Amino acid sequence: MSHATAHTISLQGAHGHLIDVQADLSDGTVQTTMVGRPDTSISEARDRCRAAVTNSGYTWPNTKRVTVLLSPADLRKSGPHFDLAIAVAVLGAGGTFKPEATRGTAFIGELTLDGRLRAVPGVLPMAMAAAAAGLTCVIVPDCQVEEAVLVPDLMVLGVRSLQQVVAILNDHPVPDAPPVASLPTLPGITWRGESRLSDLDMADVQGMPDARYAVEVASAGGHHLMLSGPKGAGKTTLAERIPGLLPDLTLEQALELTCIHSVAGTLPAGKPVLTRPPFRAPHHSATRASVVGGGTGRTRPGEISQALHGVLFLDEFPLFQGDIIESFRQPLESAEITIARGEETATYPARTMFVLAANPCPCGDFHPASRDHRCTCTEVQRRRYRGRLSGPITDRIDITRHIEPVRPHELNDPLARPESTQEIRTRVVGARDRQAARYAGTDWRLNSDVPGPALRERWPLSGEAQRELDRWLYTGRLTHRGSTRVHRLAWTVADLLGVEQPGLREVETAVQLRTGEPLALEALRREVLG
Amino acid sequence: MSERLARAALTRLTEPGDVRMAGLVADLGAEVVYEHLRNERDLGGVLTEVASRLRGLDPARDLDDASRQGIRFVVPGDPEWPPSLADLETAEPLNRRGGAPIGLWVRGRLRVDEACARSVAVVGSRSATSYGAGVAGALAAEVAREGVAVVSGAAFGIDQAAHRGALAARGPTVAVLACGPERAYPAAHKQLLDYIAEEGVVVSELPPGCAPTRLRFLSRNRLIAALSTGTVVVEAAVRSGALNTANWATRLHRVLMGVPGPVTSAPSEGVHELIRSGKAALVTEGRHVLELASPAGSFTLGHQRGETRPLDGLEEQELRVLDALPVVHGVSVASLARTAALGEAAVRESLTILRDAGLAEAVDGVWRIGKAHAS
Repeated sequence: MSHATAHTISLQGAHGHLIDVQADLSDGTVQTTMVGRPDTSISEARDRCRAAVTNSGYTWPNTKRVTVLLSPADLRKSGPHFDLAIAVAVLGAGGTFKPEATRGTAFIGELTLDGRLRAVPGVLPMAMAAAAAGLTCVIVPDCQVEEAVLVPDLMVLGVRSLQQVVAILNDHPVPDAPPVASLPTLPGITWRGESRLSDLDMADVQGMPDARYAVEVASAGGHHLMLSGPKGAGKTTLAERIPGLLPDLTLEQALELTCIHSVAGTLPAGKPVLTRPPFRAPHHSATRASVVGGGTGRTRPGEISQALHGVLFLDEFPLFQGDIIESFRQPLESAEITIARGEETATYPARTMFVLAANPCPCGDFHPASRDHRCTCTEVQRRRYRGRLSGPITDRIDITRHIEPVRPHELNDPLARPESTQEIRTRVVGARDRQAARYAGTDWRLNSDVPGPALRERWPLSGEAQRELDRWLYTGRLTHRGSTRVHRLAWTVADLLGVEQPGLREVETAVQLRTGEPLALEALRREVLG
Repeated sequence: MSERLARAALTRLTEPGDVRMAGLVADLGAEVVYEHLRNERDLGGVLTEVASRLRGLDPARDLDDASRQGIRFVVPGDPEWPPSLADLETAEPLNRRGGAPIGLWVRGRLRVDEACARSVAVVGSRSATSYGAGVAGALAAEVAREGVAVVSGAAFGIDQAAHRGALAARGPTVAVLACGPERAYPAAHKQLLDYIAEEGVVVSELPPGCAPTRLRFLSRNRLIAALSTGTVVVEAAVRSGALNTANWATRLHRVLMGVPGPVTSAPSEGVHELIRSGKAALVTEGRHVLELASPAGSFTLGHQRGETRPLDGLEEQELRVLDALPVVHGVSVASLARTAALGEAAVRESLTILRDAGLAEAVDGVWRIGKAHAS
């Protein structure tokens, strides 16, 4: 009886499952069979492993019947990174090293025919799953060590070839091998370079005091925001400055985001962990798979998930495909996205700030409030365009703001001193700290995370404010969902002011933010000079 | 003692808008009134009230100190005295305050009389919305660009937006305060007031050092209304101080104008009431204000007209034929005559006109709608 086991990890979405790869060598018809629901990329591993083993100077059991089992057998498995575990299991069964040498270790990596390793996507989530499953060591392609070392309490060994792995398992001196090329980064559909974004400052945004405040509230509480207005009004200008208002990610958030980009294969080389909130701006012509996630073959997280803990900016929102727009419902409400394909279901986190921008009409020149707009669209075109913002979507948006192009007197105001990104970020961070302290001991971090019932039960509004909110609910000014969202917004408004409990004033500001009504200048606090 | 010194002293002795004092000065002259008070003449109870302030009064030093701070004191008869203030002498008091000011303490580059020769007051709520502030700023800028001064009270909300609109347009602006002209009230507006003093002018009835009080704001409002040819109210709730200014404007026979807001908006309720009751004219932009507040006939707006459409100017007969024309498959003249209930000759006549306008076209001897009739 000769058999051996090597562990590896199979990914489903950004979650990893521990897989035992068992190899058995027995007498019988000479052949190699692979059982346990492998997909084609794993079935091909048979040929790759055989060549890699032979070309590394070891013997493939050519006179035996080789059975490789991937268990648990009910999970569907895919990915080329099974190669290393399969080769190790077969070599172990053949007695190349002691079977117990592989205990507690996960093997991750694709093999080339000459026995060298290749980088694979998703090393970070795999390493996290290995640690969670109680393994103490992972062996990964050496260029991806810095991803895996982010996981605490896990020994990470970077290797370049199968020979090095065998040497480690035998406790022999490790032979040298040429380094492994890092994974080619798939460029995300980022509209403009990230580096450019860091140079943008709120101090350069003239006028629109209430839109500036809306952006501040959205950033402080993680609320979804819709900016409407004619082209050139400054919607993109504002949206691109939102990431600058957000604090650095916490370690936990950074790991979660890095996992997503690791799976998506969009982790920039030389940047093992992403620490800044991402800004993703897919174009409206993007496909459903790229925005929401999915794709043929390997399921990849979409732009929604790649914007995790950051900003997903959807410019010209009504021009996105109808089914993409509708698929935003789930992430807008529950902060995750489920991609169901055949029998495979992947759920990716989608906790991100949606920032939608919409022109008033297809040509973008229509000003509902102005007599002398230059819009060339017909009323039917305008109606159809607006109709694409379906009620269920707009009802899930917390803050609505209409932006008019800055007026000459605002541009020339000699006393205007728009606040800088840093000044606003100080308040945003302060408000976020208050939220973190309030929600300590829960799974929630921001006001936008807290479900309605918990909010009403544990963090109510002042009695007076709640009565006013109820009145608006009964008179139809707010929907039920709307009143919950106003409740959350009122907390953020209060957190920005440093108020202990939201009262009438905060609720009124929150309602104005949600309905798009003009804001009371007092709410802006800095109404006077700048 | 000169008239100027006496008036300077009186501004320290009495509260602005004191009707009795205004009457005494009008009847006896400031010098006489001041002399009487110094000689402990009662003057109908005035002395008892101001006796405590009489001691230590030194108007000559006051004027010196003021001029060192760049503040001048303007009295009736000075070239800089704005003639429009005379209307206050005859106007009925409001809330028991009224009368022309005894003198004006002035800080700033512009001459008050010149600035106020063509001027409009833009006032409104301190608790304004971003809508109101935006409209007030745009309107003030438009008015000021025409050289018309924007008069307001330098308060939070609408007032500051109006001043800043005028400053942005590099136009004249006048801030009328309810405290000494050197004081920044509200304190957050120090930079704004300094800027107005540099580019426009800051005016007050109160001498340097005086603090604002509730009643002084009411008296101040009458000056805002009197110094301008018209008053525009932007966003005033039902109990706003801006409505007091509006009342003064009406009392002084100035043009009263109101900018409407959303009908659901509480900060616009007071304005809507002014318009609804017919006291204020509805204005939505600077041109409207200029037309109403300029001397009659000097700034007139044409009638607002919609765009010209192809169907404008068609006679009823042509319209009937046009309505009868099919879009795709043409029909004969006889068929059109039946549908439009017209004689064939009339149909032919109309078709010629419609064809020339591009509204009808003949294809293979039958008629249908032309390309110009796209809508």
